[in-house]
Amino acid sequence: MSGQGHARPVGRGRLMTAGAALATLLLGAAVALLELGLLSSREDLWRTRDDAPLIAALALALMAVPAAAFVHQVSRLAQATGERRLAALRLAGATAGQVRLIAARESGRHALAGALLGGAAALAFALVLGVSPWWTLVAPPVVVLGGVLSGLMAGRHVIASPLGVVRRARLRQPRALDLVLLLLGGGMITAGFVLKHWFITSVLVGVGAVVLVFGLTLAATWLIRASARRAGRRAGTAEALLAARLVEADPRAWARTLSVVGLTVFFGAGVTTQQTIVLLRDVSSSFEAGYRLVYLALLIALVTSAGALVVHQAEDLLDHRRSFAALSAAGAPGDALGRVLTRQALIAATPVCAVAAVAGVLVVVLPLVDVFPWTGLPLTLGLAGAMAGIGVLGASLVARLARPILARALHPGALHR
Amino acid sequence: MLEARALRKSFGRTTALEGVSLSIGEGEIVAITGPSGSGKSTLLHCLAGIIRPEAGEVTFGGRRVDSLDDAGRTRLRRESFGIVFQHGELVPELSAMENVALPLLFGGHAGQESLRSAMEALERLGVADCAERLPGELSGGQSQRVAVARALVAGPKVVFADEPTGALDSLAGELVMKELVRTAEAARMALVIVTHDNRVASYANREIVLRDGRVAG
Amino acid sequence: MSTGHVLLGLLVERPKHGYELKKEHDHRLPGSRPLAYGQVYATLQRLERDGWAEVAETLQEGGPERTVYAITDEGKAELDGWLERLEPPAPHVASPLFARVVVATLAGGGADGYLLRQRAAHLARMRELTLRKADGTPAQVLAADYALQHLDADLRWIETAIARLADLKEEIDA
Repeated sequence: MSGQGHARPVGRGRLMTAGAALATLLLGAAVALLELGLLSSREDLWRTRDDAPLIAALALALMAVPAAAFVHQVSRLAQATGERRLAALRLAGATAGQVRLIAARESGRHALAGALLGGAAALAFALVLGVSPWWTLVAPPVVVLGGVLSGLMAGRHVIASPLGVVRRARLRQPRALDLVLLLLGGGMITAGFVLKHWFITSVLVGVGAVVLVFGLTLAATWLIRASARRAGRRAGTAEALLAARLVEADPRAWARTLSVVGLTVFFGAGVTTQQTIVLLRDVSSSFEAGYRLVYLALLIALVTSAGALVVHQAEDLLDHRRSFAALSAAGAPGDALGRVLTRQALIAATPVCAVAAVAGVLVVVLPLVDVFPWTGLPLTLGLAGAMAGIGVLGASLVARLARPILARALHPGALHR
Repeated sequence: MLEARALRKSFGRTTALEGVSLSIGEGEIVAITGPSGSGKSTLLHCLAGIIRPEAGEVTFGGRRVDSLDDAGRTRLRRESFGIVFQHGELVPELSAMENVALPLLFGGHAGQESLRSAMEALERLGVADCAERLPGELSGGQSQRVAVARALVAGPKVVFADEPTGALDSLAGELVMKELVRTAEAARMALVIVTHDNRVASYANREIVLRDGRVAG
Repeated sequence: MSTGHVLLGLLVERPKHGYELKKEHDHRLPGSRPLAYGQVYATLQRLERDGWAEVAETLQEGGPERTVYAITDEGKAELDGWLERLEPPAPHVASPLFARVVVATLAGGGADGYLLRQRAAHLARMRELTLRKADGTPAQVLAADYALQHLDADLRWIETAIARLADLKEEIDA
């Protein structure tokens, strides 16, 4: 019974290390890709197209966001499991500063181990890609710094109140502020296009894209909650009801987790739409390198989002370990509880992916309404639909991957405190 | 109706149960008491088919429980047993009524019908006014009565309760016990209560005292 | 416990005669031993002697003569004083249960078996009281609570005693 309690800190450390390793690899790979992108831009895109900086900026935003999101996600999980122990330290008389330092040292150590592993892998990736490996070395220090900072942040709750160790005391519901970011990001991008100066445009569009992405993520909270409410009203089975209510109670966490999935679908839909146009209008294929770059980034983003989803499911199960173990003891089949995970992913991912796909198509089609080859519309919609489908499918496949975590959580040992 | 013969269970090097035998009749209320670490909860988990003993057997209505596979025991727990925990363990995101309806929904009953039965169970336990509220909005006594309603809603033959009043003050605990016993008696359910509170044990017709994993009296 | 003070308390409401007082005493304090008539009259005479109660009137309604007693002002003062005074927390452990366990251990034959049987007897009594609470008046429930919690304390002591008995035996043997 107590054996499990001892095993957990080790698991948390490994997870943190693995997360840092993946983040380092992603960041390193992103840098390498950006370098490749700049090289190819200089060779054939830069001179021929004035929206080349746009592609570079989008790629940067696309690749920076998943890495950041992933580090954040992992540190949140570490925070969740560590909170009780940190609170115990606080109660035992440690000062707030001491607790912060202990947490920062721990997460820093795991981040360092992960950063070294991931850095080595990123280096290998850069060499395979044939770009200069030096820039990838930026990644490990950034990740270690992130780890230390997240450790400093981890004690926040505990520092505020040593007794407030009960997680999810307040549910994170959407705020109106979320929508402001959306407008701000959109405004910056529009302004960038209007100004048509290569430097200002790329800065405005790049920063605007990041702001827009965060805005979209936060706005997704509203969407996910609405979807969960609808699913809850229609629920006819225990799985459906549980899944809907769990998502409805914490749409913000789902929005954050699905931000990468949504982004991937958004860019995927946009890029496929543009490629359709290019194909149908038989424009020369000077974009090839750009497309390869973006597709590679999309692939990386998908892998990251899978990681973020698994981590989120693990975090969720950690929160619900006791009530799920109780349900299992009361005769809820393990399969059904596993389906709860999948359904949660479906409820949250479906609207996000659908909206992201539509937005991706619109972003490309709207500026080109007058020249858009309307005969290709079914193909465009089909491809966008496929992108959304890949997102939803990925999310639900990952939910299946989390089932072993569920099986461990349902162990009767979880019934003991 | 529920019988255990020569149960043995150990965790690592510590023996939790050693040669425990007992028999519980229909409608009987039995308290399992003993100091902490005496194996009370382990015995309850073995009887309820949540864990398997290493040796010995558990039979329910003449059928072996311990030799059933996971799916078989899950089904048995869902259809014939109910269980109440010390901290209720309701799903915090579901309303009281939805929590109570869960066992029925997991059993494949229709949504509306399940919610109706859940409402009836809440009424029997005197907490119908809490139906729409979330567990976080209930007092300890209320949420424990909701947990009792959840254990009773599917009409089990045996209800297991693991320190059902352990987290409550004595008046709230008394109310929970009173309603639990009254409802169980009315439906001729057997009730197996693990407790270290003698006042809770005094609701039982019979007491089984465990000491170091053995039956002491 | 002072029966005199209880009777004074019952007289505060209005003057009462002996039989009435006995009935009310047994009703209000359902857990305690019923009062004997003789004790009621002896106590009332003592109260009268001390000036705390007085004869209000004597009734004769066909049957035997009945003396109605009333509380005096001094009686009221005494009652208030009694209610103010603290009950001394039991200074000595005088329970026969305790004595029996120690003697059993001294005599060399361990008290384990006895304690387990005593536990069963205590719990049986608690069971009766719990049952009685189910349909008792508020006063009866209060009395049952009082008894239950004392029996519970005994039981918890029995638990501790069983655990400590080995130590005690060692000490005595040494």
